[in-house]
Amino acid sequence: MDLLVQQLANGLVIGSTYSVVAIGFALAFTVLRVINFAHPDIFMVGMFTGLLPASQWPALGLGFAILAGTAGSCLVGFALERTVIAPLRGRDVLMTLIDTLGVAIALQNGMALIAGPDPVAYPALLPRHIIDIGPVALTVRQIANFVICLLLLALVSLYVRHTSWGRATRAIAERPDVAAAFGVNVSRICQFTILMASAMAGVAAVSVGTLYGSASPFVGLIYGLKAFVCMLVAGNRYFEGVMVVGLGIGIIESLVTGYLSSSLRDAAAFVVLIGVLYFRPNGLFGSYAT
Amino acid sequence: MTALLEVNDLAVSYGSVPAVDGVSLVVLPGELRVILGANGAGKTTIIKTLLGLLRPRAGEMRFGDTDLGRLKSHQIHMLGIAWVPEGRQLWSTLTVLDNLRLGGFAVADKALVERRIGQMFDRFPRLRERRDQIAGSLSGGEQQMVAIARALISSPKLLLMDEPSLGLAPLMVREVFALVREISAMGIAILMVEQNARQALKVAHWAYLLETGRIVESGPAAEIGSKQSVQDVFLGGHA
Repeated sequence: MDLLVQQLANGLVIGSTYSVVAIGFALAFTVLRVINFAHPDIFMVGMFTGLLPASQWPALGLGFAILAGTAGSCLVGFALERTVIAPLRGRDVLMTLIDTLGVAIALQNGMALIAGPDPVAYPALLPRHIIDIGPVALTVRQIANFVICLLLLALVSLYVRHTSWGRATRAIAERPDVAAAFGVNVSRICQFTILMASAMAGVAAVSVGTLYGSASPFVGLIYGLKAFVCMLVAGNRYFEGVMVVGLGIGIIESLVTGYLSSSLRDAAAFVVLIGVLYFRPNGLFGSYAT
Repeated sequence: MTALLEVNDLAVSYGSVPAVDGVSLVVLPGELRVILGANGAGKTTIIKTLLGLLRPRAGEMRFGDTDLGRLKSHQIHMLGIAWVPEGRQLWSTLTVLDNLRLGGFAVADKALVERRIGQMFDRFPRLRERRDQIAGSLSGGEQQMVAIARALISSPKLLLMDEPSLGLAPLMVREVFALVREISAMGIAILMVEQNARQALKVAHWAYLLETGRIVESGPAAEIGSKQSVQDVFLGGHA
């Protein structure tokens, strides 16, 4: 019983990170009809730009590292939107997929050139000690990561449901033409959407770097794959659906690690994907026709 | 009177296939004009081109003093042009209220938008009951009411209505045309495309007949309705 509760808690911690990265994918795909394979590497860049000042001036703390991480990921996100995504919007989805994949490879290897191909230590921005919450024991870092990611998810949900731009964002997702004809500047909101996804990835990246105490130029790969699976399993109709599935995949992985074997952990998400798509090809919560 | 909307020699193609070929028309302020035509005649193409959703191959479109050909869709909307799309095209996963709020997206004064939404709910009490339901769960008639209300929130000068009676039950069709008359009486100019010629000619001031991308007849609605050729094609041979 204790193992179960503990694994559930661990699963929520990692799942919340998957959710944040998955929302970034889902925003780009639903709103811009773009599969942004560079998104996980925007996350990676954020992890490193957060690391840099934090290892130079550790006294500035987590808040400053998050700021630096967000600045880095936003900068890359902005450049990507201007140079690749905006010029190709409305074209075949394969075209941006291939182009962003190219950018992803360039970002990974560019960072490997700068920082070296091996994982580097992340500065200890938060203490390591363990806090007992009832039957569950979590480190300060785990709790911080969970809280930060949940906060980001809540902000996105509030934004798309309760602000004028957020409503317009959902309107573009379903019917871009009608949104434009009602005064929505579609390209401006698309640009903002990519920036928002990048900013979230930057915040989460610094938090995850701190959680595991390391950063690697290739860290985006595994988060990207899991997050992409989350989006496919949920379908793109409801952003909140993607969030829930992210948490769910985290929990399933954590249960597989606890009860079966940690070597099966990474396979779990794909088993879920195949199972769900077999019975619900549009995902658990449905998708817009594209 | 100077025209509110003036279209000269408009030509639109899908790839190399011409859909609209040299269409000229005008809408005067406060007037209700209808374009009649069969499926594929190019009616929706004209509407979408006016909205900036399709680019014309040739021709000129002026709204007041403004050349529409250079503007993007959201800029065209800001001039005071609103759209009731074919088949409603509501945002099905958004609530009725959010659909209406988006109708006022370009209106800076959000309190004014909420007031106008209140007025729409007074006019359509059924929509007030369903304000927090997602639009996709409404009946076809209710959805058409939302689509029309959504277009009115911005208080447009010109309303483009694309087959507002399509796919509705006969009772609902009558209600929609009564509503069109009501909007017209408010002084809002309307350009409507319709297949239901009989009803459309009853409410319109002026009618155009569109055949394979060209206007073949044009005149006051009553005159057009009494033409033998029109009766044969659109009114089933008896008026």
